[in-house]
Amino acid sequence: MTDDALRLGEVRLQSRLIHGTGKFPSPEVLAAAIAASGAVMITVAVRRLHLDGDERSELTGLDLSAFTVLPNTAGATTAKEAVRLARLARAAGLAEFIKIEVVGDAETLLPDPIATLEATRELVSDGFTVLPYASDDVGLALRLAEAGAAAVMPGAAPIGSTLGVLNPHNMRAIIERCPVPVIVDAGLGSPADAVRVMEWGAAGVLVNTGIARAGDPVAMAAAFARGVQVGRAAFLAGLAGDRREAGFGASSPLAGMPGAGARASV
Amino acid sequence: MTDDATPEEQLPRLITAAVAGGADVVQLRRKQTAAADLTELARACRDAAHAGGALFIVDDHVELARAIQADGVHLGQADLDPETARARLGPELLIGLSTHSRSDVTRASKKPVDYLAAGPVNATPTKPGRPAVGFDHVRTAASWASVPVVAIGGLGRGSAGQAVAAGADMVGVVRAICTADDPAGAARELREEIQAAPRWVELELNGEPRRCPPGSSMVDLLARLEVGVAGVVVEINGGILRPDELARVEVVTGDQVEVVHLVGGGKSHD
Repeated sequence: MTDDALRLGEVRLQSRLIHGTGKFPSPEVLAAAIAASGAVMITVAVRRLHLDGDERSELTGLDLSAFTVLPNTAGATTAKEAVRLARLARAAGLAEFIKIEVVGDAETLLPDPIATLEATRELVSDGFTVLPYASDDVGLALRLAEAGAAAVMPGAAPIGSTLGVLNPHNMRAIIERCPVPVIVDAGLGSPADAVRVMEWGAAGVLVNTGIARAGDPVAMAAAFARGVQVGRAAFLAGLAGDRREAGFGASSPLAGMPGAGARASV
Repeated sequence: MTDDATPEEQLPRLITAAVAGGADVVQLRRKQTAAADLTELARACRDAAHAGGALFIVDDHVELARAIQADGVHLGQADLDPETARARLGPELLIGLSTHSRSDVTRASKKPVDYLAAGPVNATPTKPGRPAVGFDHVRTAASWASVPVVAIGGLGRGSAGQAVAAGADMVGVVRAICTADDPAGAARELREEIQAAPRWVELELNGEPRRCPPGSSMVDLLARLEVGVAGVVVEINGGILRPDELARVEVVTGDQVEVVHLVGGGKSHD
């Protein structure tokens, strides 16, 4: 098979499934699930070291050097906090990857688009390979790409919800319009969700809860891996019904916009 | 801290003298008198302490402390549990707890206590039969406690300063003042010795107050807490330390230190 690696910054990922590391029943199950998924990129968070007693880390027994580690800024509620967490993660000796997560609403955990864009700009200029987790908004995705994001990570549904792709039109438009790879993050609940977004041309998916909270996380990790492969193969093959010639037309005429010049009448 | 030997009627005057000499806290400690018989004496002692601007703490007797509106109560390991005491006293009163071992100190970190006593540093007639724990336990308590540490046990001139150098925030004495011919002078001399002694560095570590000996690096500080530096990132006052700086940069009083590492997760509600 020809090389179909996902290029992100300096690296080429041979698996398009990015594996989360939270909420697993035990470090052993986590390690087995990652192995079963074939994932080569895993996400981790940055937290204070517990200084009273030896709390066991979920990452116990995991050789981080065997993976491309994608630290996230989970817990940040402002751009400033996200930038701080990113710099701490980089100092942990990992590559320059950072997944920006800035929560905009504590109840739904949905992201703050403005702070996400601000943090993206700052961390790109600081030399990071930036992957922002974002709302499923086309305009925002374009702005993030313009700001220098290496990939954009729109959420399919709220974090941990496993509701699948709540707004397929938006998600598909982001995938089609965004000039950088689109990795669908958050809310994917079943391998079918992975097949679907990969068929549309998503560059990859990030799954955590959908695997961690499955009846058998290890078997589900393998199932998601197959879903990603199937969806990718279908996308590369070209879906027969994929020629949406009708497209989306504006409901107001674009011609005659004041100051629009000649292009508006195209 | 009062003894059992001083006659009751002399205690308020002794307290007045000790506070005039520079004692900041007075603890009423009468092991051989029942709580019910201490009420009047406790009131008089409280008034003497308060008149000089000192805090007044009652040893052991939670109900007495509450009844006479003392500033707090001091509990031993075998006394009422601090949680129960806190429930009876409400949030305002200070609760102190005696510690004799590292496990006493770490257990206390989860309890509603405002200061820890570390001792007995030296063998003392006040605590017959209890083995001396030396300055080592003062250092242990100072390393692990996030609340102030009072060194206690056979301390006086010469050893009070050593206790501070071992990490104590305060020094508790019984005989050094109670049996002195000039209690005010004894208190004054102790206070001068304590103030002249080299204090430990006080910083904030992951949001908690912590102490370490002067001249400590982050490697030293974390080693005291039995944590290695492998895989951790240290930020001091907002600036990240390079790996070579961990053993080199000295922490100083007032530093805000964050020690972080990578954990499983990708979810904002972790």
